[in-house]
Amino acid sequence: MSNVYHDPAEAPQPYKEPTPLPDDIPKVPEVGATSAPLKSAAFFIGDYCKEYNEDFMLCKAENRDPGHCLKEGRRVTRCAIDLISKMRENCGQVFQDHWQCLEKNNHEYYLCRQPERALNKCMFEKLGLTKTIPGTPPGKTPIHEVRNPIYTSVQR
Amino acid sequence: MPVPWEALIPFGLLVTMFGTGGTLLNASKRAQNQGKPPRYHLDAWENMMMERDKRLTGHPRAQRDEPIAPEGFETSSVWYTEKVSYHYK
Repeated sequence: MSNVYHDPAEAPQPYKEPTPLPDDIPKVPEVGATSAPLKSAAFFIGDYCKEYNEDFMLCKAENRDPGHCLKEGRRVTRCAIDLISKMRENCGQVFQDHWQCLEKNNHEYYLCRQPERALNKCMFEKLGLTKTIPGTPPGKTPIHEVRNPIYTSVQR
Repeated sequence: MPVPWEALIPFGLLVTMFGTGGTLLNASKRAQNQGKPPRYHLDAWENMMMERDKRLTGHPRAQRDEPIAPEGFETSSVWYTEKVSYHYK
């Protein structure tokens, strides 16, 4: 009886935090993008926020206590919020086209290459960010740049 | 020469029934997913992201691309583990 599941959508009053963080910790808003825009922006977040993400992962590797990596976590959140705002401002329509295509195709990248090419072009021109897939073998073209892939939505 | 058209009636019925059944099922799945095809092969990560989408927008398939989360999002996941006695404070 004491640990009942409450659906937050049916709460009669807003949640009152019983143990809020102390005031000396800076308040950073959470990222408000849902899964499809985040998946669309994923490689660009990796390019733009590389140092902060690596700092956070190294900090977590030292100690997985949630209180240990708050500062690095705040930096990661701020960087992601910054990039998503810039993407919406500069490449808003192409970005929206790509994540709407992903949403209709089970969030599979290989089914949305055309909007992805437009987004990559716009991101490179406006913000100088490129999508690189880490771990591609040195001689091969990355799968997102292959012009006639084997695996498409319709079997060849 | 008389053509045995009566034989085509059960054929027509089967085609119609299968077609209607399939179309209605597809329409029902799309209606549950806000007009989009349903998601498949969902693993634990995707389920976690869809639950986060539900906390952000109210529906697991609804998307938003605002950079900042709405008010109350930061603490909305804690409802799941809250003790009932807090309501009676």
